[in-house]
Amino acid sequence: MDAPQQKKRKTSHNLTAESVVQRSSLPRSLRFDKDLNVPAYNHIPNKKLRAQLSRNATQSARAKALLDDAEMLLTEEPGLMQPENDLERTWRVDQTDIEHGAGQDAGRGRREWKLDGGPYRSRYTRNGRHLAIVGSMGHVATFDWKTGTLHSELQLQETCRDITFLHDHSHFAVAQKKYVFIYDRDGVELHCLKAHVEPTRMEFLPYHWLLATIGNAGYLKYQDTSTGQLLTEHRTKLGASSAMAQNLHNAVINLGHQNGCVTLWTPNLPHPAVQLLAHLGPVTSISVDPSTGGRYMATAGRDSTVKVWDCRNWKGAIREWSARGGAAEVEWSARGALAVASGGSVNVYTSPTIQQPIHGSTQPPLYLTHPIPHRPLVSVRFAPFEDPNFDSSEADPFENRKARREKEVKALLDKIQPDMITIDPDFVGSLVEPSKLSITTTSSDGKAAETIPFARLPRLERLRAQGKADEMEVDTDDAAPDAQKLTKEEKERKKMRGKGKSSKRHLRKQLKKVIEPTSIAIRAKVEKQREERKAREKEAAGEKPKKRSALDRFASG
Amino acid sequence: MKIKVLQHDLVAHLPQRPGDPTPMSRNLNPLMHPFAKARERTRALNAAKMDRMFSKPFIDSLEGHVDAVEVMAKQPGSLTTVASGSWDGGVIVHHLARRSQLLHIPQAHAGKVSGVCFSRQGRLFSCGVDRTVKSWNPDDSQTENPQPVAVFSGKSAFNSIDHHNSDPTFATASNLVQIWDETKSLPVSNLTFPTSTETINSVRFNLSETSVLASIGSDRTFTLYDIRTGKAERRVVMQMSSNSLSWSPTFPTTVLLASEDHNLYTFDIRRFDAPTQIYKGHVAAVMSCDWAPTGLEFVSGGWDRTVRIWKEGRGHSPEVYHTKRMHRVSSTLFTSDARFVLSGSDDGNVRIWKANASERLGIVTTRERAAIEYRDSLKQRWKSDGEVGRVIRSRHVPRPVHQAAKLKRTMLEAQRVKEERRRKHTRAGESKPKAERKKLVVVEQA
Repeated sequence: MDAPQQKKRKTSHNLTAESVVQRSSLPRSLRFDKDLNVPAYNHIPNKKLRAQLSRNATQSARAKALLDDAEMLLTEEPGLMQPENDLERTWRVDQTDIEHGAGQDAGRGRREWKLDGGPYRSRYTRNGRHLAIVGSMGHVATFDWKTGTLHSELQLQETCRDITFLHDHSHFAVAQKKYVFIYDRDGVELHCLKAHVEPTRMEFLPYHWLLATIGNAGYLKYQDTSTGQLLTEHRTKLGASSAMAQNLHNAVINLGHQNGCVTLWTPNLPHPAVQLLAHLGPVTSISVDPSTGGRYMATAGRDSTVKVWDCRNWKGAIREWSARGGAAEVEWSARGALAVASGGSVNVYTSPTIQQPIHGSTQPPLYLTHPIPHRPLVSVRFAPFEDPNFDSSEADPFENRKARREKEVKALLDKIQPDMITIDPDFVGSLVEPSKLSITTTSSDGKAAETIPFARLPRLERLRAQGKADEMEVDTDDAAPDAQKLTKEEKERKKMRGKGKSSKRHLRKQLKKVIEPTSIAIRAKVEKQREERKAREKEAAGEKPKKRSALDRFASG
Repeated sequence: MKIKVLQHDLVAHLPQRPGDPTPMSRNLNPLMHPFAKARERTRALNAAKMDRMFSKPFIDSLEGHVDAVEVMAKQPGSLTTVASGSWDGGVIVHHLARRSQLLHIPQAHAGKVSGVCFSRQGRLFSCGVDRTVKSWNPDDSQTENPQPVAVFSGKSAFNSIDHHNSDPTFATASNLVQIWDETKSLPVSNLTFPTSTETINSVRFNLSETSVLASIGSDRTFTLYDIRTGKAERRVVMQMSSNSLSWSPTFPTTVLLASEDHNLYTFDIRRFDAPTQIYKGHVAAVMSCDWAPTGLEFVSGGWDRTVRIWKEGRGHSPEVYHTKRMHRVSSTLFTSDARFVLSGSDDGNVRIWKANASERLGIVTTRERAAIEYRDSLKQRWKSDGEVGRVIRSRHVPRPVHQAAKLKRTMLEAQRVKEERRRKHTRAGESKPKAERKKLVVVEQA
């Protein structure tokens, strides 16, 4: 850790100058803009534009430099296990060793609850402070897992399949036997979403305020939790699904189906954006890697394989191996560690190796393993912000009541419209492609080309640019020989209706009237080509060109 | 085995004592901020909408004139004192902050009051079509029927008056420009261009080169004079006549003309062949214009019953103000603090507007100020986004103005198409397109 810090210190700027720059204007010689490597816009003649561009460039370069400095402020170092010699293996370390080795405070973070009532599924809030669990027999509990404060505990007395918090711990949704129900923090039932029938899995998109559910009927439904409206429902046509994950970075919903397909969905497309056959059997679990901006996806299927996919290139998994103990549960942590729960243990693999493409189906090197004597393992979740440093403006594990309320309002104001969900989230703020409707012309004498905007084109050119101009009609000469061969009925059938319309007449006249140097040149060229073709045809027919006589010199041309 | 575990230190993340703010911690890793751009765009859109929502520019209207308000003038060195003259011959000195009248002269002139101005000493001068210039003391508000301090009579009706920046002299415009001394009853000198037979509409002293004088006339001319040489220096004949002129307070060579052809023009007086910028937006003749004291903005009022505020150098999409009851705007004024705009119209009212429509008057707290500045920079950054830009640009105008603008657009487009066709069917190189800026000036005379 020492080496990179030294390097950083080298790159940081004159500290004395920086300390006073907030309060005063520095002389030009002391300003650290000089070593920012800002491009000089000397080639731009417009002074105002030049100043604006260089100001923008300086600003962004300075922001970048400050960003480098800000990394030094992250005081809390990431947690990890490092073997001290070649014989040590991280996966040999078990939980009690970690508990002893990590110190008292960190050791207290490890909890274990033994509950009856079927396999449980769990979910953390975005800030990682609160945990919700639901048992398949209908036991629901939400609590602050650090302090052990119980918010609510319900016995719903019916099958429950999934649970998720909404924007924060003040609301949570439970996928129950027939419908999705929304409860508040104290466990009071607020809403029954009857549009979501027999739900199996749920995901909440926090920046769009959307609750997405998939049910046994195979309908993916989006419900806007800020307005209460059912936004869209997509028919997947792939039957029931029991695997669902969201990509945190583009809010795309990944679904795994019974036939082994994985599909990617956005609310504004009625069909999947991506569909791939991932497994030979039902897909049991999906997770998307948040540490690389949603670049990798892990899937596990009933065929007892775990596969890691590159979301930029779907041609085959980059890594696959078989998990012992059948169908697995996969989950990716915020720092890029992949947990695979299968059989009786949870295996954790770390980041660089699981993303390296490899031929064959060998298991990646194991980082950590934890056997659990209870089966089946149906849900595995990483607690957010136990490892990376958090940002209080996004999600704060230590926020108080007032901060939570304020954040709720701010998040509502910043709610992103659902039709902005796409596979590539970077399209916001990028440049629009130039319109294809404008026409670039070169004048005949080879002068500079000028671009005529669509609005300034003459009518015929506009129609042509739109693809609406009827170019067929003008070539009446070419069409004529064919017409002679047609019978009467055919003629009647193929009669060109609407040819004499006033607009068509106008266009035809327009085309003939305008005499432009380019059109003259083109006509001459076409004429020449036609003559050549005729000559060639004659030659092919056997007519030899006449011998030149003495009088030919008087013929023109 | 080395085992490290990240621990969030409670001391660092919780307030030290009850009542302390909770410490913020930042992680600038972009992966920690998904949808940062999309969220910022949403914020920008909200900021643009809020700006339109809060845009309530009208503050008050000052009554008192019986007939249309023809001219207004602000007192130099004062933020609140403004004089207005009307077609009924009355002159009122308003106090803007108190919205009261400091001085009301019901019959200052017989007929229309065609010009008012203040001297540096605070003396008020008014001229009228009754061929007199009268000077008043704005402080004698107690008297029921205030009398002029001095009366200067001329030979023909006066159209405009302006006072010298420092000297006790003033200039009037009738069929010629006359320079008067405050202490003498006859004009000191007559300035006229040799071949001129025009009526001078308006005359203004340059604000920093104080002996330079500019006038506009009814025969479509703009003339420069120097009172030291006592001669007209240069003259420009334009396509259409101008209604008002204003010197820039920050660029001494820049002059602004409000033209009859619906446009405003800024000229650099060192180059008269073309205006430096054309300001297009009004849909009828522009009747008046005035620079903000910062020189970055100016206001114009037009025959189309709108007041428009322009950014210097930006020739399109000005801020538009209008009300149901406001008639033709014949005089406009920027106040000396550049925060307010005044308009005097044919309905006899002087109206006060904010220069920045959505500005909040009154005390603004630091947090609020920070939020406003953040919103402004968001708007600036996202203005080229389609939806945000549309909200920022859209202005509601009365139906007649909207229709007139539509008609004007159609006519100009038709004209352009016709010209283009003509050019296409003439011999190549015979007729060349003329730049819009080169079309204005007909001839330049020295």
